[in-house]
Amino acid sequence: MAKSAAKKKQGSQPSPSIKGAASPPLNPYNSTPLYNLLCGFRRAQDQWVARYVTILSAVVLWSAVGLGLYSGMGQKPINGDFEAQRHWMEITTHLPINQWYFYDLQYWGLDYPPLTAFHLWLFGVVGNFIDPRWFALDVSRGIENPQIKTFMRMSSIISQLVFFVPAVMGLLHQLGTQKKNLTRMNHIIVIALILYLPALVLIDHGHFQYNSVMLGLFLLSVGDLIKGNLMLASVWFMSSILFKQMALYYSPFIFVYILARLFTPKKTLGATILSFSFGRLVVVGLTVIVTTIIMVFPFLLAASNGSEAVSLIKQILIRMFPFERGLFEDKVANFWCSTNLVVKYSQKFTHEQLKLMSLVCTIGAFTPPCVMIFWKSIRRQSHNPDYVIYGFSATAWAFYLFLFQVHEKTVLVPLVPTLFLLLTTDRSTIAHVQWINNVSIFSLFPLLKKDGLSLQYYSMFLMINWLMGGFTLSTKSNMLWPSGSNLLSKLVIVSSYLVIPIYHLVEHNILPPSRFPDLWVIANTTFSFACFSWFYLWLMYKIYNL
Amino acid sequence: MGKSTETHTSPRRKLPSFPPEKPQKEDSTAGPVNLESPGDQSDQKTKLVNLWIISLFIKVLLFVGYHSTDFDVHRNWLAITNKLPILQWYTENTSQWTLDYPPFFAYFEWALSQFVPSVVAQDGCLDIVEKGMYGFPTVVFQRTTVILSEVVLFLALQKYIDSFKGQIGRSRALVVALSLVLSPGLLIIDHIHFQYNGMMYGLLVLVIAYARQEQFLWCGFWFSVLLCFKHIYLYLAPAVFIFLLRAYTLNLQYDTKKSFFHNAIRFVRWTNLLKLGSVVISVFAVAFGPFVYHNKIPNLLERLFPFSRGLTHAYWAPNAWAVYLFMDRILIQVYKRIPLSRLPLHKIFHFNIAALENEDLLNSATRGIVGDIEFFILPTITPGLSFLLTLFYQIMALIPLFIQPTYERFVGALTLCGYASFLFGWHVHEKAILIVIFPATFLVLKDIRLLNCFSLLASCGYVSLFPLIYTCEEWLIKILYTLLWYIIYYFSFRKVASVTSESYSRNAGGIFLVERMSSLYVLGLIPMTIIVSLIELLKTKFVVLEKLEFMKLMIVSVYCGVGIIGSWNRFNWLYFLDESIWQRTK
Repeated sequence: MAKSAAKKKQGSQPSPSIKGAASPPLNPYNSTPLYNLLCGFRRAQDQWVARYVTILSAVVLWSAVGLGLYSGMGQKPINGDFEAQRHWMEITTHLPINQWYFYDLQYWGLDYPPLTAFHLWLFGVVGNFIDPRWFALDVSRGIENPQIKTFMRMSSIISQLVFFVPAVMGLLHQLGTQKKNLTRMNHIIVIALILYLPALVLIDHGHFQYNSVMLGLFLLSVGDLIKGNLMLASVWFMSSILFKQMALYYSPFIFVYILARLFTPKKTLGATILSFSFGRLVVVGLTVIVTTIIMVFPFLLAASNGSEAVSLIKQILIRMFPFERGLFEDKVANFWCSTNLVVKYSQKFTHEQLKLMSLVCTIGAFTPPCVMIFWKSIRRQSHNPDYVIYGFSATAWAFYLFLFQVHEKTVLVPLVPTLFLLLTTDRSTIAHVQWINNVSIFSLFPLLKKDGLSLQYYSMFLMINWLMGGFTLSTKSNMLWPSGSNLLSKLVIVSSYLVIPIYHLVEHNILPPSRFPDLWVIANTTFSFACFSWFYLWLMYKIYNL
Repeated sequence: MGKSTETHTSPRRKLPSFPPEKPQKEDSTAGPVNLESPGDQSDQKTKLVNLWIISLFIKVLLFVGYHSTDFDVHRNWLAITNKLPILQWYTENTSQWTLDYPPFFAYFEWALSQFVPSVVAQDGCLDIVEKGMYGFPTVVFQRTTVILSEVVLFLALQKYIDSFKGQIGRSRALVVALSLVLSPGLLIIDHIHFQYNGMMYGLLVLVIAYARQEQFLWCGFWFSVLLCFKHIYLYLAPAVFIFLLRAYTLNLQYDTKKSFFHNAIRFVRWTNLLKLGSVVISVFAVAFGPFVYHNKIPNLLERLFPFSRGLTHAYWAPNAWAVYLFMDRILIQVYKRIPLSRLPLHKIFHFNIAALENEDLLNSATRGIVGDIEFFILPTITPGLSFLLTLFYQIMALIPLFIQPTYERFVGALTLCGYASFLFGWHVHEKAILIVIFPATFLVLKDIRLLNCFSLLASCGYVSLFPLIYTCEEWLIKILYTLLWYIIYYFSFRKVASVTSESYSRNAGGIFLVERMSSLYVLGLIPMTIIVSLIELLKTKFVVLEKLEFMKLMIVSVYCGVGIIGSWNRFNWLYFLDESIWQRTK
């Protein structure tokens, strides 16, 4: 009898074991609602549908978020980032190129690199064709109507579709093919998580900016870096910097990594060092220079003589790097703003000293990951794509934590490469990355509240966590639960998940004391800083153990 | 030991807890196509609740977007039912948005108004004024009530899924349910435009689900409730009536052993009639009782059936009349431009030439402004004619249902009744297309041939809703969401719809061509949408386009109207000439 029962049991469930052999048995994502939503397309011949469905639904999501307010809507006379971008479309389409960086600097003077200017010029041309009133020079300042709002929203959606989406899909495909224990459905899930990324969606399509272009160019560069196409990688990377100077946060690591790739790993250290390829170094260097020259070439062309060209370039650099502003502008979750509670930096030190301190700290923070990965890369025969992801994340977090003049929106720069770590089956890593994703959204809350995007903030926040199974109590299917981590990590993560809802309850119901009107904002940034620092240390630990 | 004996000897009793066992039985009966490999069957399926939650986030994000005057209509009803005694509900007319839904909807609004928080009440939600002055809190409150009332649809669909036993059947029911939960029609009409269709169609789903289980009393009960919520469903009433009459209360078996007299009495199942009658009458008594008591029925009926409206709505619903009107407009141009055509045209149609020479009148008509005269050349349509046509096509659909009262026939008859009322009804709104799409969805998986005409119906029907949301901000959402829905469901339906040997053999003939044509027609919606959007986008740029303002609405309704009529023809063909689809399969 017992035999027959056993036989029956065996017979009734033959399929899971067969499937288990074919695909990884413990794929943690398979119990999440996100997988459940996509599981109708899990068979290989249907997976292309899943990709298109993911992208289409992401666009629906972006445009739904875009229904909300944008930064500075209805706040005359200076408005906000939205008006800045629109104004740049206005000046780039109406003024000759050599005046772009000089025109009326008091009213949203152009302070992004040339590629942004070209990008906005292109959209400006299209917009001028549709309705010239949107971008009439000077007259259109502060223009607000549903049509211009829709046009601008569409421009950010199209930019993200063109630059960001292909880059994300390409990079994930590359990373995924090297990880044998992952299925295609895993790639699609991570694609969805990155395309729905609340911080990016809320900033680009809510607050309004074009970060996705810079990040997309950067991700293209990462893809080529992993493939070993160092030239193409540097072209993409220079484009990324020349789109938005924030991409410089990645630069130390890309420099170090390219350098490491110029060595051919050999048996002994000496042989490795001797294998250094100077030729390729020169080629990469030339690529960087040529790319930069091509990008600024229209400006040089517009200049009538040499001295004007120099002054133009100088002006662009001055506009790009406003060193003369303070250590931090708004409240931001980095080292300086948080420790400013204890040490009043602006009173104790001069501006020059502060700049130096910040520079030293930043270098001190990004050196360890760079050095570790450099060392590991030249000592190992195979190139592990994880090095690149970990390296970029750690370097960018170092910059975010210690550089001066950091904006809260800049958290996207370290966050985006970090999210590619989700492509794994390790529950602890997934939990940590999703945790820092949540803290990043949380750190944007004061900004989004100011923009009137609270509704969008809460819905996106809840949605991404729900997709990850964050609202189930079973630790098996809850991706937020760091199973497999040590007790300390669990404690940190769980307690911070307790803090966030409590913070929102308190912030929503209790007015801050009149002596400290910014109390809730400072509480937010300080808490976020603590979490970011912890995450930075966790990254160090992971890199050390790679 | 005992346990194993049980599993071994009586597997039947354990069936519900062992899903993998049953499908093997189903497989053999499901026809040649069994697309799911056995390995997949043990795997998970998309859960209805998950789709509902994910759509919830999109719906919440839509709070800040556009809403139509229907929002103020419902706000006004909240105010009326909250502030006034029941006898004044159907006489109050401070605002032009008077209460013109049946009593259950009024009760529903009254119930909702009990939960209005003080913040929302201060915002002007409950003021009886000519034009509502309200802010974001009211929007949040009313939008939330729409989302919550949609739970009815969700529960009804869950019930529908649960009534299936086998794996194949369940997965088909699931696809049907998922497609209805995510319907772009509901998103556009309920969550952008603002109405409570989710709940109404939830009740209709209950009617269909109970009909499938042959629980006729519940079927009748829920349909009466539905009628007391929104009287547009009267259009479906003939199908429900005939179905319940034939399947529940009549007994057509003639017993030759008994006398004629005995058979005549047995012809009606009296107990069933009594049960059903008392259920229906008590529902109507609860709904209309208070108004009968206060003697307000004449006011109520006047509100519910306003016969003074025109044939078409300001924007033409994509039905037969849109095509008819379009023909008229074409003939006007022919008449004006080709002098030779004047005499024959006049001989054929006997129209009033004076009206055609009045330029103002003509211009207002071609610009789409609803005037006294709607037709210039073609004969005018009277409400009586429209009613007769609707009735004729409904009766045509009911005859097969009377002969063969199966669940499949019932849903088919519901769909055809919906079609008839949508295509030939008087003053039909474009929103009414859901009354056809919803029942039709339940049939699609019966046969792959139905999928083709469904896809034509659903795509044309949903695209025809686009002009309802004319704001530019929602433009991308409405289009992409519909596209997303179409991709997901065309794909899923294809995968699980059954392909019978019948449909294979038919495919070889001319039907193949018809199906390709209808697919092309669906694809044609893409360039049509692009052209219409471009006219809209560039109208400030080119003055010519501004004159075409009405033209773009006409393009949409005529193109979609032709598509819907085409799908209706195909559906009729299958309904009347193909027996195999409509037989009962358990």
